[in-house]
Amino acid sequence: MKLRGLGVYAAVVLAFLHLPLLILIAFSFNASRFTIWEGFSLRWYQAAMQDTQLSDGLVNSVIIAVVASVISTIVGTLAAYGIWRRSAPMLSGSLYLSLVTPEIVTGVSLLALFQWAFHFLHLRLGLATVIIAHVAFSIAYVAIVISARLRNFDRSLEEAAMDLGASEWRAFTRVTLPSLVPAIAAAGLLALVVSFDDYVITSLVTGVDSQTLPMVIYAMARRGVSPVINAVSALILVAFGAIILLSQRLERA
Amino acid sequence: MNRRAFLAAAAASACSRDRRPRLNVYNWSTYIDPAMLDRFERESGIRLRYATYESNEEMLAKVMTGNSGWDVVFPTHSRLAPMARNGLLAPLDHRLLPSLKNLDARFQRPVWDPQLRWGTPYMWNATGIIYNRVHTPAMTGWAGLWNSALRGRLTMLDDAEDVIGACLQKLGYPFGSTDDSQLEAAKSAALRQKQLLRAYLNADVRDQLVSGDVLAAQTWSTTAAQAIAANSNLTFVYPQEGFPFYCDCAVVLRESSRYERAHTFLDFLLRPEVAASNARAAETATANGSAQALVPRDSVLYPPDNIYRRGVWPEALPSAAQRYRDRLWTEIKSA
Amino acid sequence: MNLRQWFLLPARLWMALFFAAPLAIVCAYSFLTRGDYGGVERPWTVESFTRVVDPLYLAILWRSVWIALVATALCAILGFPLAFFISQAGRRKNLYLQLVLLPFWTSFLIRTYAWIFILRDTGLLNTVLVRLHLIASPVQLLYNDGAVLLGLVYNFLPFFVLPMYATLERLDPALLEAAADLGASPLATLCRVVIPISAPGLMAGCVLVFIPCLGAYLTPDLLGGGKTVMLGNLVQNQFTTARDWPFGSAASLVLMLCSAILLGFLMRSRIAKELM
Repeated sequence: MKLRGLGVYAAVVLAFLHLPLLILIAFSFNASRFTIWEGFSLRWYQAAMQDTQLSDGLVNSVIIAVVASVISTIVGTLAAYGIWRRSAPMLSGSLYLSLVTPEIVTGVSLLALFQWAFHFLHLRLGLATVIIAHVAFSIAYVAIVISARLRNFDRSLEEAAMDLGASEWRAFTRVTLPSLVPAIAAAGLLALVVSFDDYVITSLVTGVDSQTLPMVIYAMARRGVSPVINAVSALILVAFGAIILLSQRLERA
Repeated sequence: MNRRAFLAAAAASACSRDRRPRLNVYNWSTYIDPAMLDRFERESGIRLRYATYESNEEMLAKVMTGNSGWDVVFPTHSRLAPMARNGLLAPLDHRLLPSLKNLDARFQRPVWDPQLRWGTPYMWNATGIIYNRVHTPAMTGWAGLWNSALRGRLTMLDDAEDVIGACLQKLGYPFGSTDDSQLEAAKSAALRQKQLLRAYLNADVRDQLVSGDVLAAQTWSTTAAQAIAANSNLTFVYPQEGFPFYCDCAVVLRESSRYERAHTFLDFLLRPEVAASNARAAETATANGSAQALVPRDSVLYPPDNIYRRGVWPEALPSAAQRYRDRLWTEIKSA
Repeated sequence: MNLRQWFLLPARLWMALFFAAPLAIVCAYSFLTRGDYGGVERPWTVESFTRVVDPLYLAILWRSVWIALVATALCAILGFPLAFFISQAGRRKNLYLQLVLLPFWTSFLIRTYAWIFILRDTGLLNTVLVRLHLIASPVQLLYNDGAVLLGLVYNFLPFFVLPMYATLERLDPALLEAAADLGASPLATLCRVVIPISAPGLMAGCVLVFIPCLGAYLTPDLLGGGKTVMLGNLVQNQFTTARDWPFGSAASLVLMLCSAILLGFLMRSRIAKELM
């Protein structure tokens, strides 16, 4: 009863989310570099494949996003659980505060920190500093998602397990953690997306060897949109679409 | 393949990392021909690490740390003096730059660096007006951008220096004025114009000019040349009240430990055919005189002498004046 | 050290090193003086703060708060039914989630440029409307507050949907059936059963949308045509073109303070307590 109308609504919203993409993909086949259709062409795909900056950027983005989201999901989940068990005001406060900080401020402050630290440590800006920065801002996102889920979780389940002789660790891994899995997946996904797409913070703390995809794209777009970007987006979409389809098949099997 | 063999192969490939000497170059985006980078690597045996930035400030934020890892960067000319004052630049050794003689006569002793001590001029452009000949009355100067008939079809650059400078020049004041009353007058002019503006756009305006959404715009000559190539109804004019020039120069950072290699690269960029390729790829004007002979003489990118003389080369302003302008810009934008 | 303290340790360390310390540096910056070429210099002063409390900047703050509130409300209204639908979708849950997220694997900048293309005078929407004779000539859909809101909602919708989904997923369908059996209308079930249970997710989602919207600068810049200055633009401008790091730091601290207060107020308010 409720779901039929909702289904239509969901379809409309999903269409709204995907419309710009379809346009993007359509114009990736445009022979002209301006947004006036001039005929079908694959030249932008060729250009995209040959552009080493793009491929380097993509590799860097993937490495950073995966590493950062794994770390932040683990750290964030543990933190959210710890806070749920008994409140930790300083940590919660700092997590919320990190959400409230504008990206530019996070970026500049981290740059200042690294700048100062590198006087003593003789290190350089690079992949590691970007990953550190990404984890720093993602932990809060993960913690919020997991906390929201935990608030509805029945505390007495864990207590019952411990009454029955389980250690704290076992109670956590056998009772709480399994029911947290969907939330952890959702949080991890959020962290991954946030990291992959980040421009502001990354551009400030990146070093010589760690240009990411958003930076390369931003550079291209600022000089006047080039359809090479459309081609890259289309390729990324196809790749992720394929991964999703694959994961669906695996889930069913 | 068993696990041990795989690990051994991985270890081996990690160890056989490139041992060629390196050079890290940080440049504006789409400002070089990638084929030239490959050619440099082949000829010199130096491995290049090349990355790009979008604004001087972005580059400066990194470089100011003195520990950015870059060897060669390309600041705009007005930033050279302050960067040198702050000890960020290594003075150039002309003995390592035999191709300096290829520079256009105008850039051999440029106003911002007469001895060419700090940077080699690379590419230059100007700010002017582009408009659609068919739908707009002819324009000769900045005043044309205050025409109320163009309401909603007009854009200005999203750049404080360019917009305030244009307002000042329209009122007959110098581009780099630090006089408070003149600046206030410029601000009023900008606020009046804002009612007519569609938006403040940089290179983004190109597509809208081509498609006809925008009929007139303050824009850089590079953007204008690209737009005109796609839509011949568009035409570019250097305002008669005056206009700014900008030149991006290649500099060697003092923090760099690759002084000679950096000079090899700078010298490479000064070769005529290399500079010409880069100019073609960047679609902008090159400061290299010998190269200018090898590229099409676009009157948009290379204005004739009588027009050239009307242009000014903006300088870095003293701190207080800069702060005042920033506040004015914030007021203009938030109105 | 018990288990809980071990669990909290990594987060505590990370936040201390990479959040608190940098923030302390920003605080220090806000009391220093602007260096000639960006950076900061010695004379300690409160000048940056006295400059911030100025009608010009307060107006900017107010405007940003307002736009962020509207964008958050829109995300909540649009995102809640979507999240609910996905949570009840059984086997296909993951597929729908992925579909929601799929657009966000492309660059945020590209998505924004795609919207510019759609909303332009000669863009898709106007062309279609003119062809269908719904309007006589193109309407300016771009470079105004509406376009900015569209951009913000479009980009932050998943930030609302994901936490909302995470909470709604826990909702037992049996509860809904029981409510229906007891005679509750769908609307009553929504208000009395679904929303109270999903309140934490609602809060989380709103927070995750409101805050970035407040500090957003790329979207207002690109879709608003650079004609309005929001807080994010102001801060970004101070750290880049204006090279006034102390003032930028002071403005950021004010921004963070306002957001933190709003957040705290929301979390403690009667409404929140009732819902939770």
